[in-house]
Amino acid sequence: MRRYALEGLHVLDFTWVGVGPITTKYLADNGADVIRIESAAHIDVLRVSPPWADGQPSSINSSQFFASYNTSKKSLTLDLSKPRAREIALRLLPWAEVVTESFTPKVMRNWQLDYPHLSALKPDLVMLSTCLQGQTGPRSGFAGFGQLLSALSGFYYISGYSEDEICPPYGAYTDYVAPRFAACAVLAALDYKRRTGVGQHIDLAQYEAGLQNLAPTLLDYFANGRVLGAQGNRSDRYAPNGSYRCGDEDGNERWIAIAVADDRGWAATLDALGAPAEDRFATMAQRFEQREELDRFIDRLVHDRSADELTATLQAAGVAAYPVQTCLDLHRDENLRAFDFWHWLDHKEMGPSPYEGLQHRMSATPGELRGAAPTLGQHNEEILGEMLGFSSGEIAALKREQIVY
Amino acid sequence: MLDLTDDQGALCGKIFADLGAEVIKLEPIAGCPTRGIPPFLDDRPGVDRSLYFLSHQAGKLSVTVNLDSPDGRAVVRDLAAKADFLVESFPVGYLESIGLGYAALAESNQRLIYTAITPFGEAGPARNYKASDAVTWAAGGMMFLMGQAGKPPLQMSLPQAGLHAGAEAAVASLLAHFPRQVDGRGQRVVVNMQACIVWTLMNEQAMPIMHGDYLRRQGVYLGSPKLRRKIVFKCQDGHVAMMITGGAVGAGSTSRLVKWMDEKGFAADWMKQQDWRAWTPAIFMALGERDLRENAEMEQQVERFFATMTKHEIYAEGARRGVLLGPVNSAADTAADEQLAARDFFAEVDHPVLGRALRRPGPFAKFSRTPLDVSHPAPTLGEHNEPVYHKLLGYSAERVAELRAAGAI
Repeated sequence: MRRYALEGLHVLDFTWVGVGPITTKYLADNGADVIRIESAAHIDVLRVSPPWADGQPSSINSSQFFASYNTSKKSLTLDLSKPRAREIALRLLPWAEVVTESFTPKVMRNWQLDYPHLSALKPDLVMLSTCLQGQTGPRSGFAGFGQLLSALSGFYYISGYSEDEICPPYGAYTDYVAPRFAACAVLAALDYKRRTGVGQHIDLAQYEAGLQNLAPTLLDYFANGRVLGAQGNRSDRYAPNGSYRCGDEDGNERWIAIAVADDRGWAATLDALGAPAEDRFATMAQRFEQREELDRFIDRLVHDRSADELTATLQAAGVAAYPVQTCLDLHRDENLRAFDFWHWLDHKEMGPSPYEGLQHRMSATPGELRGAAPTLGQHNEEILGEMLGFSSGEIAALKREQIVY
Repeated sequence: MLDLTDDQGALCGKIFADLGAEVIKLEPIAGCPTRGIPPFLDDRPGVDRSLYFLSHQAGKLSVTVNLDSPDGRAVVRDLAAKADFLVESFPVGYLESIGLGYAALAESNQRLIYTAITPFGEAGPARNYKASDAVTWAAGGMMFLMGQAGKPPLQMSLPQAGLHAGAEAAVASLLAHFPRQVDGRGQRVVVNMQACIVWTLMNEQAMPIMHGDYLRRQGVYLGSPKLRRKIVFKCQDGHVAMMITGGAVGAGSTSRLVKWMDEKGFAADWMKQQDWRAWTPAIFMALGERDLRENAEMEQQVERFFATMTKHEIYAEGARRGVLLGPVNSAADTAADEQLAARDFFAEVDHPVLGRALRRPGPFAKFSRTPLDVSHPAPTLGEHNEPVYHKLLGYSAERVAELRAAGAI
């Protein structure tokens, strides 16, 4: 019986920033040995982005943004723009079963570390290349953040109160859509390779993975000619549906999300809120028809209530509801706590820091955050010395020449 | 894979089907609730016409079975005995209560990987809570961050939470497959949808602890009391997403933007002289007074500049110059996008009953040796009853007739 699902898997990880590292985190937290190759010469931008352990960018090793996505991994620094550094990276290739990278396509090509070069040396290699718009096509070289890709792929257009009042999701939304697809791709290709001995290259565009989450909207355009725009909390399935302001708590606004699917749910909602039945809202059709009046009606009923108590009351009556959680609330959320979601890990420089945990739990071989994120080059000696057999003098020279850098 | 999900997990089976797995979608005799999700093809409701169903159930086989009937449940047990994977999204405890929990099914199939998708896990006070997209979006922290200050927090206008949970279930099921390849034993997996949404919050999670405050929604601005940075700009025919940043992340892009603006007479002198590399702190941090002033002036000036162009002109020229920006595209823009066309992304799939071809998103990745198969339509209700009952399960015609008469299938 294995302790971890991916025990024995070796991954040479050239990815950086969001999608790539989150993908290899799935592997690392499940027992794979993942060596991240990074460099101070082209620093992972998350290492210089907040939040920082002491609230200030005092060190390259104190970003929790970076730390969150790099648990259970080892860090080796190599400045791959130097030929000698690339030679060292290639000495790790026989060890690796999977190679991952997330640069724009020309980078690995220029370094002769792209799939054609690596698979010539190791024919059964499984390799993931993930960039914003894919390895081919006129925009393959498009660089940027997931925020831009989220706009480009259509998520911003359907976020807001109306087409004239766009309110995008926070952050680089597609960076949090693509990794699950990328992890599935790597695992499926790895399974195929282990069954057949045949490796392959995966070209995963963050764009195309993101569009999976917009599929019905694209069908609606292709088949019906309709362009979906932002429409607030309006739903075709629930009425009322959305967020309603409750009483403030500790001077902060507090809201509750409520979604009512049918007449039974509506009767239960009125009962839970202590409100008499209203003829004008008696049927689903009427509630869809008069959404704005309905929202104002709910607003009046909940405006001085406690969001937590109201959630309990509505859910006891079988109505979908939950407080609209701030990020601070999430750290105190009883249900996340019961799932053992938050973890404080002891980071070499940051000390105990809060990490998001796993989103699923396996009964027999559960993954876990096996260690805090590495500092930049934390495992240089271990990898160069113990794995590759460099002497401490040689390692010192490599550092001096900024090959190990 | 046996797929017993609704809209809280349909994407799991879809990903497996794309990878070539035989995915049997078990539906109640009246049809899976996802067949009723609007909008519909030609805006005409019908059991085969939901665009959600046509998107996320594509490539699966459909078999009808009545879980309220003991005979129907026996059919599920027979199927589970032959399955590699089962994924479900019923209320916590429901399948156990009708004898279809993991322990019961594993008795006759120790290889089975049984993945349960839950809104809030199985241990906390909310384990039996009802959920919807808005409700899990709120519970996971994303809703609070979308919208204008003072106005209601927002969901996206296309439900997302169930898709994250479904994709997570696919990852988890595939992970569990690896130890099974060694020891032949499956296991049970629980997916937590609330946790999946927390995982969309980027770098916000530790902000309240490390920086003493949490972000607030501010429309097209990144928001907290000391932070106000525009991330969506108006242009001639819509909007463009861009962040005016300095430091290692954005100095190059911002310098090139200023040069572009200067060529058209939109750059102030200080913008040209600015050392954008030193213009820190980075994107998500509070700005000092001078930074705030400069930032506001840049934002105003960029919007004046962008007002002279369409979003496609800005995208094309921005990409040429290496300015990091992206147009706020609609479905129509996506459909016409040259990059997707060059990669032959969209798939054209014939639908036998509807009598027409449907265009829809293609594969989520390009595999060099085993390309994903996105050539199959979504199944009609009970389309695969005969082959599954007769060939896969080996039921006789009499047995099928009995089950049908009893309302089990």
